[in-house]
Amino acid sequence: MHVAARRVTSCAVSLLLAVLFIATGPARADTATTNAQAQQRAKAVTQVVLGIFSYARWPVEPSPLRLCLVGPTEYADDLIKGQVQESGRPLQVKRLLADDSQVAQACDAIYIGKLDQRQRDKLFERVSGYPVLSISESNDPCTIGSLFCLRVSDQQVAFEVNLDSVARSGVRIHPSVLQLSRRRAVQP
Amino acid sequence: MKPTRKRSLRPTLRSVLGRAHLNVALLAVGLAGISLTLLGVLALSVYANHNLQLIARSISYTVEAAVVFDDSAAASEALALIASAEEVAEARVFNGEGEQLARWQRADSGMLALLETQVARALLDEPAKLPIMHQQQQIGRIELVGQGRSLLLFMLGGLAGILCCTVLSALAAQYLSRRLLGDITRPLRGLASVAHAARRERSFDRRVPETAIAELNELGNDFNALLDELEVWQSHLQSENQTLAHQASHDSLTGLPNRAFFEGRLSRSVRNAASQQDHMALLFLDSDHFKQINDTLGHAVGDEVLISVAERLRAQLREHDLVARLGGDEFAVLLTPLQTRRDAEHIAEKIVASMKLPVQLDSGRSVATSVSVGIAYYPEDGADPASLLNAADAAMYQAKRKRRGHWQVAQTERSANPIDNRS
Repeated sequence: MHVAARRVTSCAVSLLLAVLFIATGPARADTATTNAQAQQRAKAVTQVVLGIFSYARWPVEPSPLRLCLVGPTEYADDLIKGQVQESGRPLQVKRLLADDSQVAQACDAIYIGKLDQRQRDKLFERVSGYPVLSISESNDPCTIGSLFCLRVSDQQVAFEVNLDSVARSGVRIHPSVLQLSRRRAVQP
Repeated sequence: MKPTRKRSLRPTLRSVLGRAHLNVALLAVGLAGISLTLLGVLALSVYANHNLQLIARSISYTVEAAVVFDDSAAASEALALIASAEEVAEARVFNGEGEQLARWQRADSGMLALLETQVARALLDEPAKLPIMHQQQQIGRIELVGQGRSLLLFMLGGLAGILCCTVLSALAAQYLSRRLLGDITRPLRGLASVAHAARRERSFDRRVPETAIAELNELGNDFNALLDELEVWQSHLQSENQTLAHQASHDSLTGLPNRAFFEGRLSRSVRNAASQQDHMALLFLDSDHFKQINDTLGHAVGDEVLISVAERLRAQLREHDLVARLGGDEFAVLLTPLQTRRDAEHIAEKIVASMKLPVQLDSGRSVATSVSVGIAYYPEDGADPASLLNAADAAMYQAKRKRRGHWQVAQTERSANPIDNRS
């Protein structure tokens, strides 16, 4: 009970923060100077996401690869244009609502934007047990939930890997990617 | 002038042998060493290129993920990790857009590094380029510049080996040529010394010893055979010479020295006596009635008489005295040294007396003979050979005129005290 109550309050707090952030952030960032930066970041994010896909192996190779964008995303503009991966495998991108119950069946990968804690928990509950590769865009401690968590900065788009989630999901990730993420985690 | 200069320019056997050995050794070592080193360098450069490709491949596998995620730091780290352990001078990783993602360069400088760069540039296909593939797509490329250290070390090692072998083989060539020289020159030296002895000292008794080398041995044998012939020839020549010399200075009939010999001996004795203040006596003898014997009894009997007279003459003389047949029936006797005049007169007396016995001929007959003797003293009767001979001759004629078969002392102005002739 206590835990549930605490989670609720933390959810509320984060929601509040998110609302505040959404209300204030774009208003401040939406200036001419940051526009080019945002495009640069979006491009880098696309590269990293496609890179991760290229190193991921599903139990049954999906074709096309269905990527679902969940929640408000900041850098997914390039992704949503829909493109062919480097391997030649077509990529099918669509937006889903956070509480879509068919998420596990409709998506091979999900790109998670800003969701509150409750929505996140719900989402991960739905996809648990399915081979779904999840990538979080927002700053996420990456201890539970997403397989990959992006760390977007102007210089670089880095990422972390949640090995437990990777192990549970059934999607196999190439060790060199794991190595890359671990090195990054150590580096800072 | 010319031949001596030429001779001084001629190389010695030793230098010829030494040079030949050295040339062969150097040629062999040089050819073997250079060809081996060249082959080695070629093979090694092929392997080095292959190795560079392998390193590039391994780098490409390692940095693949970093290039996919455009992660410069990770690429640099992976690059340094591999390149630093390998023979790589410089490595670069470019991403799909051709931008340099990572670069690593070996941080050593100095002479060796400079040389390595030169060698690598000359022998390796530089830089080695390899695309980085990910899911059958090129996502970037790698450029590698080899270091060339092992190549350089191999070349230096090869060079050192060649030098070492050159020195060793030069020494060996020297040693071998010296040994060969010894084998060749020892018999030659023996030959030369024998030849020299034969030429200078006329010693034909030495022979060239046997040698191991067939040609030289044959030469020695031939030379020995030549020496044998020379020895025989020389001894023959010597005896011939002796005979000829004897014949030239002696009378063939009586075996006594002839006039030429006597005159030579006389002038020598006069010189000696002059320098040592000695006295001498010259006896001039002539056989009496010899012409008559010759004419009536024949030349053969005349010869027999002459031989007999010569024998008797010789029998009367001392060891150092000389008797010679001057010609026909004329004889001369040189008495030297002479102590007193009396000695000469005594000998003359003995000679005259020895002729009293008739000469026994081969035919069994005997012929009476006698000689007249003229005596001249040195220096009283003549200071030179000619006047001495004249004085003795004159004394002999005097004796012949007075009494045949007697002796007579010369009577010249210088004779202080003419002594009476006695029978």
